[in-house]
Amino acid sequence: MRSPLEKCDFLQMAKIQGTCNEFCPNAEMKMRVRERMLHFFELKNGQKNVPGILVKEFTRSAADVKMPKGEDMRTMECLTRTVEYLLKEIVMDNRMPYRMAYDFIFDRLRAVRREIVIQMFDAQQTAKLLEPIVMFLAYSRYRLCDEPIELFDAKICDQHLQDCLTGVLRCYKTLDEDESKSRHTIRDIQRRCFIESVYQVFNLGCPESMERALTLPDHVRQDPTFKICFQMSLFYHQGNLYRVLMGLPKLPHILCALAATKLQTMRRRVLQMFTHAYNKQFDVPGSYLLRVMLIDTPEHLKQQCGHYGLEVSKEFERVPVLCSRSIVQTPRQTKVLHIPGAGSVPKAVRFNKSDFINSAETIKEQHEPFVDSKLKLVYLPEVLLLKKFV
Amino acid sequence: MFGSLANYLSNVERCAEACSGQALSDFLSLRDVHVQNDKLHVAQPEKMVERYLDAPLDEVVGAHLKVIYYLAQNPTNYMEAYTQQAACCSAVVKLLQMMKDENWCLPVMYRVCLDLRYLAQACEKHGRSFTPGQILEKAADCMMACFRVCAADGRASEEETKRLGMMNLVNQLFKIYFRINKLHLCKPLIRAIDNCAFKDTFPLPEQITYKYFVGRRAMFDSNYRMAVEDLSYAFTHCPDRFGSNKRLILIYLVPVKMLLGYLPSKVLLQRHDLLLFHDLAQTLKAGNVNKFDEIVRENEKVLIRSGIYLLVEKLKFIVYRNLFKKVFAIRQTHQLDLGDFMTALQFVGVTDVSLDETHCIIANLIYEGKIKGYISYAHNKLVVSKQNPFPPLISV
Repeated sequence: MRSPLEKCDFLQMAKIQGTCNEFCPNAEMKMRVRERMLHFFELKNGQKNVPGILVKEFTRSAADVKMPKGEDMRTMECLTRTVEYLLKEIVMDNRMPYRMAYDFIFDRLRAVRREIVIQMFDAQQTAKLLEPIVMFLAYSRYRLCDEPIELFDAKICDQHLQDCLTGVLRCYKTLDEDESKSRHTIRDIQRRCFIESVYQVFNLGCPESMERALTLPDHVRQDPTFKICFQMSLFYHQGNLYRVLMGLPKLPHILCALAATKLQTMRRRVLQMFTHAYNKQFDVPGSYLLRVMLIDTPEHLKQQCGHYGLEVSKEFERVPVLCSRSIVQTPRQTKVLHIPGAGSVPKAVRFNKSDFINSAETIKEQHEPFVDSKLKLVYLPEVLLLKKFV
Repeated sequence: MFGSLANYLSNVERCAEACSGQALSDFLSLRDVHVQNDKLHVAQPEKMVERYLDAPLDEVVGAHLKVIYYLAQNPTNYMEAYTQQAACCSAVVKLLQMMKDENWCLPVMYRVCLDLRYLAQACEKHGRSFTPGQILEKAADCMMACFRVCAADGRASEEETKRLGMMNLVNQLFKIYFRINKLHLCKPLIRAIDNCAFKDTFPLPEQITYKYFVGRRAMFDSNYRMAVEDLSYAFTHCPDRFGSNKRLILIYLVPVKMLLGYLPSKVLLQRHDLLLFHDLAQTLKAGNVNKFDEIVRENEKVLIRSGIYLLVEKLKFIVYRNLFKKVFAIRQTHQLDLGDFMTALQFVGVTDVSLDETHCIIANLIYEGKIKGYISYAHNKLVVSKQNPFPPLISV
């Protein structure tokens, strides 16, 4: 049965197909070069006003703007190349701090997203373009988590990440229902499983995302990475924070990074829980806390405890400390190196229920050494463009 | 056998004049036999209808006839039928607004809204090009218009007020909101009913349905005590002859009660073909973690389809609590070695549990008030309170 929208001839006419094969359509390029409205990343070798490679920027449609023309919209193939260009050349461009690359890429990708809507791409095309955008936002969410809010607003990033995720997941549902499109390649399935895993991790413990996971086709549910992520969400839902925390470092790169943005909240919950369980008389060893809370240094432990009003003993003891560099990345193997006598931890923390400052803000997210070491091992563009998985 | 269009219309006119709400609603029902009468399948009945009926009833009936017309097409044009039904609903709103101090046409409103929902569901089923839930949401908007008219009828007397129609509509809206998974939209409706002076005098069937949905919503908010109250009401007041409804209520009531420490009787479960919960209850009682996981895994599909998978997963910590209570019962001392708990866990099949995890599980149970006591890390012991170390779950 044709949708009532399709029946309308007016809208049939309005389906515009892009014909532009450059990253930036001619008209805009001419205008911006003339008006000297070039972004730093669009300059040739950083030379002021000398145009390098321009990429179509995001503009909202004004009320009186005419229907967009085909020549101002890019072809599917061109949009794919645009995304690849941004997530390869610009992401790796370290002439400027990453947050500037983020702002530029974010804007240009938003323009891509807008074209997907205007050109009314089908589910398969939409998914193909949105998948790397999801990866970029997820990575950036972690990478910039410790920036001040004026330079990077995590909430906005979260919003866009969630929007893109729901968009691509809707495409997967459509493709699932369309039996004629069952010609999925193994690569397509792998990409889907990874994106579904991102959704689980980003919405850890959230009933909606878990309900969705329960209704996914078997080939997704049985994917090893997805299974781990869903299981983690389930543990979170059950309240078994220990398993969530222990599973975290075993996640692959971007998933690990995204999960790490939730660590401070989890650490707070652990400390709160411990103030009830280990109340008063007996001291709890620092080494135990380092392990459970995925903390790498004694200073960090002192910071966590101090922030919430908990007393840390002045005595130290030399104990084997988990060396973060030694935690290996793949879910299949976890190697733990003990370096005897290498660390000294506060001997104990005293947990007093009444000490815990409930009104204290949760400590701001930060980079975690075990995540950074994982990310160092990957070639970012390959991962963001989903050309490589684990 | 079937009468002409004129016959139908004069029957409708007679009902309207006699203020017979129920009879009129039958003439507007998609389940009534008149729907099959091809003499009524007219694409443009307006002129004819206007001859017999005044505004806005003519709009209501006109739209209804168009609905039947589109349903009779081959292939059935659900989308057009739905659109006309929505128009019918808007006309019903006008009808309600026009009637001051009268509520005889409430059955008409119930029927039209019900059919609206059925048609919306049919559209969703047969047409794939829109976002799922979109049409149902639009149907809900139409119903809300009816609801607003009813809720605002404050001045009429208790017998004549249209507010008597509120609960029926609220239940219909609940059905839609649950279907499209927008439970937050239930809140204002619940508030409206709570503020209603005669919320206890609505008919019993409506009360049961209402409590069922409110109970389910409380479940999602993790407000288990409220959920048990509402679902229990629905269960006890639902007559036994509605077996499938009783079973439906139990599917939610049983796991929620288990979260509060109540175990269902085997007899009850057998009567309603819900023995899966009996197996689950046994593992809960024994604190058998591994068997619990196994049963959940085996019955995954059923639990997912019934929408209680996540709720059942929440029972996991109750299993731990019961297991540890057994350790306490065996040891008969208030200073329990954590090694014993680890052993117990391994005994029930959790082979990969570490001492750290054991600490964390117990810490969590203490934090939630399920165990009264504290852990001494240095002595590797859990010291429980001499009074009531494992308080009943309902009190926690």
